[in-house]
Amino acid sequence: MKRSTVRVPARATGAACVAALAVAGLAACGDPADGGTSAEGDGDGPVEIEVWTWAQGYDKAAEAFNAAHDDVQVTFTEIEPGSKGGYDKIRNAIKADSAPCLAQVGYETMPSFVSEGNLLDVTDIASPDADAYAPAGWSGVTVGDRVYGAPQDQGPMVLFYNKDVFEKHDIEVPTTWDEYRAAGEKLKKAGIALTGTYEDYDYTGFAWQAGAPWYSVADGQWSITNDSPENQKVADYWQGLIDDGLVGAGIWSDEWAAGLSDGSIATIAGASWFKGILKDSAAASAGQWAVAPLPTWEAGDEVTGNVGGSSIAVLAGCENPEAAWEVAHFMATDTTAADAVIEAAGTLPASVDGLTSELLTQGDDYFGGQVVDEVIIEASADVAGDWQWGPGVSTLTSTFAADMKKAYAKEGDATISGALASSKAATADALAQQGIDVGE
Amino acid sequence: MTISSIPTADPRHAQRRVPGAPAGAPVRADRRRPSRTARYALWFVAPFVVLFAGVYVAPICYAVYQSLFRIERDALGLTPPTEVLDPLFNYSAALQDSAFLASLGRVLLFGVVQVPVMLGFALALALLIDSASARGKGFFRLASFAPYAVPTVVSALMWSFLYSPTNSPLNQLLEPTGITVDFLGTQLTLWSVANVVTWGWTGYNMIIIYAALQGIPGEVLEAAKLDGASPWRIAWNVKVPLVRPAILLTAVFSIIGSAQLYNEPFVLSSSTGTIGPQYTPLMAAQSSITAANYPYAAAQSVILAVGVAALSVVFFRLTSRRSS
Repeated sequence: MKRSTVRVPARATGAACVAALAVAGLAACGDPADGGTSAEGDGDGPVEIEVWTWAQGYDKAAEAFNAAHDDVQVTFTEIEPGSKGGYDKIRNAIKADSAPCLAQVGYETMPSFVSEGNLLDVTDIASPDADAYAPAGWSGVTVGDRVYGAPQDQGPMVLFYNKDVFEKHDIEVPTTWDEYRAAGEKLKKAGIALTGTYEDYDYTGFAWQAGAPWYSVADGQWSITNDSPENQKVADYWQGLIDDGLVGAGIWSDEWAAGLSDGSIATIAGASWFKGILKDSAAASAGQWAVAPLPTWEAGDEVTGNVGGSSIAVLAGCENPEAAWEVAHFMATDTTAADAVIEAAGTLPASVDGLTSELLTQGDDYFGGQVVDEVIIEASADVAGDWQWGPGVSTLTSTFAADMKKAYAKEGDATISGALASSKAATADALAQQGIDVGE
Repeated sequence: MTISSIPTADPRHAQRRVPGAPAGAPVRADRRRPSRTARYALWFVAPFVVLFAGVYVAPICYAVYQSLFRIERDALGLTPPTEVLDPLFNYSAALQDSAFLASLGRVLLFGVVQVPVMLGFALALALLIDSASARGKGFFRLASFAPYAVPTVVSALMWSFLYSPTNSPLNQLLEPTGITVDFLGTQLTLWSVANVVTWGWTGYNMIIIYAALQGIPGEVLEAAKLDGASPWRIAWNVKVPLVRPAILLTAVFSIIGSAQLYNEPFVLSSSTGTIGPQYTPLMAAQSSITAANYPYAAAQSVILAVGVAALSVVFFRLTSRRSS
């Protein structure tokens, strides 16, 4: 008789499955959390609302809430940033019925989360407070005509430039993209890169500014429009910068940080929150950097894009949406809470009260005393209005980012246009597998 | 058939045991008193069985169950999705998913090249350290095993620095020769990943093979020596055949490891676009989870698991046939 090393009879496999599920079932029965929220107040003691965030300063905002309230108390947990695993954690928790009531969710991810059934519609509770928020923020938490959270911050785009480098090479601050490119050509002669790369959301900001949305809805169907003629214009421009060798190290890499520090990368065209990133990554070049409005396609235009910005959203399964909204609304609008986040994260608030913070009127030593937030607040009023996010952004941006890295590295015949096309195809496939057919 | 009857019934099993370990005797005694011993044994294996069933078998069953559903949503996807039983939908979608199929092909190619190379190194190192004339055995044993002690994420970070497209220290060393290696370019990326894995795991496999070498009875080696065999012949014709079971074991571990490739390419993907989000099957399944398609991720995982199981069985069959 020939005996095989791995032979398990089908009957035994079935029995093992049943036994295993029984064990797992027992474990599940032992779990007291039923319904999956952290609302524990049934008459006695305060209602507990759990909140998961990654941006800095929310711990202090939570403390501020707890100090000001007796009936509701916040427990705060720090998680990984959304695209670095935070969203997966939130999704898994929702699937396992152990999610908190509130979590930080970026505006770009709101439609995806809604389509996955991860968020709770709080329109009726939240609508009366709509006027407390900047319009850009409120549109970020609105999907269709329903509201799912409280806007916390926004990321209007500006131009960070190394003033010393620009002065040394006698370059005017560019106000149009043509001038930006011309500045790059001058800098190239001195061996200085105009900028680092822009790979995912940082690139979408340029499309946003150009009025070239990546998603649109027509006839009750989503379309991915990142290869539209308007988008090709943006792609051609950046492809030109790559081809001419004006773009330096990959964003977020150590070389990128080093280049920002030693003056070999001269600008960042990006969201206002790069302010905090610069201070962290390029502490050595304190005093050299300054902020100007983002260059525009036509001289004299006043329009910019937005990158990032996030809300504290109410998650599906929350048993106490009123209390949850109270917490989320407080964190965005209370001046102590908003100041804590401004100070720690360097972000621009999305609430009217937050935008009046004293902290936003002070000169910043890192930027040679410039009142940076003045420029940023002005930019926030100029953000183009026709941008829309849709479902499947994680597939769209992760595929796009990988192919953009290839385009920047001039890997084979990789181009930005190619990255736009491949990410569109990958997203359409991924959405089709989930029952959403994407139109042309 | 009871478990206790297996080892003694087939002489080939006794032969294939690690040399030096006594075969047979204790097992036969069990057979005469089955009931009481079996009851005690049950208590001893219970903790294992419960853990095994709860954290291993149950999740697998759940994954299989989950893979049978299709996600259905309204056209705009603005209402929560529903799951519909459609057993073959995800499997047929996965088998037509070119990115997923490419990832399977990629790890297959990776395994076919990397596993033999790594095990070749491991065997050579083990034989060198085991050889009578070796000096500094302790040092070399530790030095070659040390990379395994470094967490794979850390080692991948370290290598991503060495591979850096802009200022790789390796390329700086090569500068006088005028050669620049594009470690993370389309041509080389897979082999750069293979290098990281080989660096990390050769020592681990070496230790397993080395332990088996240590178990070879001295008289066998002495007999070979008296017969006039050279050290080279002893290594190749006596030692290697005797540690064959250990080599097969490391081969199966390595095949499974290749199929589960994740940490190294994931870390390196931040430095290069040649490693996309669906570079390996596990990365593909992970990106399905990130796209909130759990049933599809489950189907991808099941396909991978079945593929690895089939490969392992084929490998065992091929190697055991050759030995008998």
